[in-house]
Amino acid sequence: MDAQLAEVRALQAEIAALRRVCEEPLAPREETSRVQKSFQEIYQSDSEGWKSSKDLKSQLGHLESELSFLSTLTGINIRKYSMKTEDLTSTEMTEKSIKKVLRRHRLSGNCHMVTFQLEFQILEIQNKERLSSVTTDLNIIMEPTECSELSEFVSRAEERRDLFMFFRSLHFFVEWFEYRKRTFKHFKEKYPDTVHLLEGASSQCMGIRSASRPGFELLIIWKIKIDEEGKVSPKLDLLTKVPRRALELDKNRVIETAPLSFRTLLGVLGIEAALESLIKLFCTEEDS
Amino acid sequence: MAQANTLCQDGKSKGGVLAHLERLETGVNRSGKQCEELQSAQAVGSALATKIRKLRCLRDKLRAEVKQRQARVKASIANAEPDQTVEISEQEVLERKQKNVKAILQAYRFTGISAKLTSRGVCVCINTAFEGNLLDSYFVDLVIKKPLQIYHHSVPVFIPLEDIAAKYLQTDIQHFLFSLCEYLNAYSGRKYQADQLQSDFAAFLAGPLQRNSLCNLLSFTYKVDPKGQAFPFCARLLYKDLTVTLPTDVTVTYQGTEALSTSWEEQRAAHEILFCTKPLHQVFASFAKKGEMLDMSLFS
Repeated sequence: MDAQLAEVRALQAEIAALRRVCEEPLAPREETSRVQKSFQEIYQSDSEGWKSSKDLKSQLGHLESELSFLSTLTGINIRKYSMKTEDLTSTEMTEKSIKKVLRRHRLSGNCHMVTFQLEFQILEIQNKERLSSVTTDLNIIMEPTECSELSEFVSRAEERRDLFMFFRSLHFFVEWFEYRKRTFKHFKEKYPDTVHLLEGASSQCMGIRSASRPGFELLIIWKIKIDEEGKVSPKLDLLTKVPRRALELDKNRVIETAPLSFRTLLGVLGIEAALESLIKLFCTEEDS
Repeated sequence: MAQANTLCQDGKSKGGVLAHLERLETGVNRSGKQCEELQSAQAVGSALATKIRKLRCLRDKLRAEVKQRQARVKASIANAEPDQTVEISEQEVLERKQKNVKAILQAYRFTGISAKLTSRGVCVCINTAFEGNLLDSYFVDLVIKKPLQIYHHSVPVFIPLEDIAAKYLQTDIQHFLFSLCEYLNAYSGRKYQADQLQSDFAAFLAGPLQRNSLCNLLSFTYKVDPKGQAFPFCARLLYKDLTVTLPTDVTVTYQGTEALSTSWEEQRAAHEILFCTKPLHQVFASFAKKGEMLDMSLFS
């Protein structure tokens, strides 16, 4: 036991010592005090140097505001960018005054809730007449993966090595995504008991139920499709859930034809009004 | 107990039994005490053992943390300027930041839209590309006023710029820009395909390629096999949607008096589908490949 007690004391002492080491400021903090000193030195010794630093600061301010403007204008926020250049010009080419350069670019940023990381290669060939620029490779990583609707589109963009189509479609996709989210949220807030969002905020589906008539349910499925050419469009479908007895009573086959009628309704009223009219169907009992 | 009885029956060791029992009792008590002592000693011992375990764990954690800090300091010293001093002047920090921001500003051209602030407002540059080939760029000079106005632009007259501006410019400038991108990229793509056909596959054309400025209506006569006995087909490609690079309507016809044989009829129908699904120059590239394969088979 004495041996154990001795060990406990030794451990406690060592821990205390280690803690003191950890609480010491890291070397970089000492650096900042050195940086401040050197700044003062610059100021004192070289006033010109200090002025150019101020110019740099205002220049940097201008550039950063330009960047934030561009980000607002395009809706795309590029946060990191780097590039490596590889000169592929052979001596033969130099004789004919042809220049061939391969540039590897790495770009990352976000467009609203979607984060992207791009790695692509561009081959530039410059001859006497013109400069040709071809994307020879494109790799795209996207997050969040909850936007599963995007994965197919991403592989297509990579296949086509079409950067511009990627960003264009991304913009329109995000527009539709946010619109769908806002619309569903709006209806959930306006009719909290009737409307149910099955997968949470970014749900693809909206359920409409009535407390007074359980067993009847409408399900709106709103998908965002991106076609071969990168064009983004919404695709809405209606599913019905109805008790068997009701189906038997439905002589006019209203329920059977509901999905088709829904498409027509969308065309006539537009998305929001069409959805609201369906929700109101289930609400009328509660109101009256 | 049985033992005690038998001993009792003996009679001799009765006192012995009681004494034995007494001895056993005290023995039990002693061992009980010992047991308790042992137990409490064990308890203290095990408490200490747990404490030691916990302390060892904490110490190991702290040791690792200290090692990490040391490694970080070493790394930051290693990454310092080549002259081994750790002093980074504010100037250099700013210069590095500036370089970084300038690079990101340049990188915006990869989105297809880049812009420069002007005295009036902003000049937006729209880049176009098709299949990874960078093509023409166009600019739109905007004046930042209420309402937003287009001061100057290089968009071709047959692109419905006014329509797009009327729909989106005032309410959603992003939509305006990306919509314009769609039209310009599609136009560029169609133009590229037509240009490629005229330059690389002229041998296949039996007459001039007729095209309009929007490049959304193309008409030409072609032969699948430029040297051989192929029938000339007339193709008419219409791109009703100005934001697409593949035709919406294709008709391939045979300009002749005789009826087509079934194999040629099949080819004609197949070509109609081909033109709808593949870019124009790629269709002709596939014709060329087939021709090569045919030539090769003739030699083998």
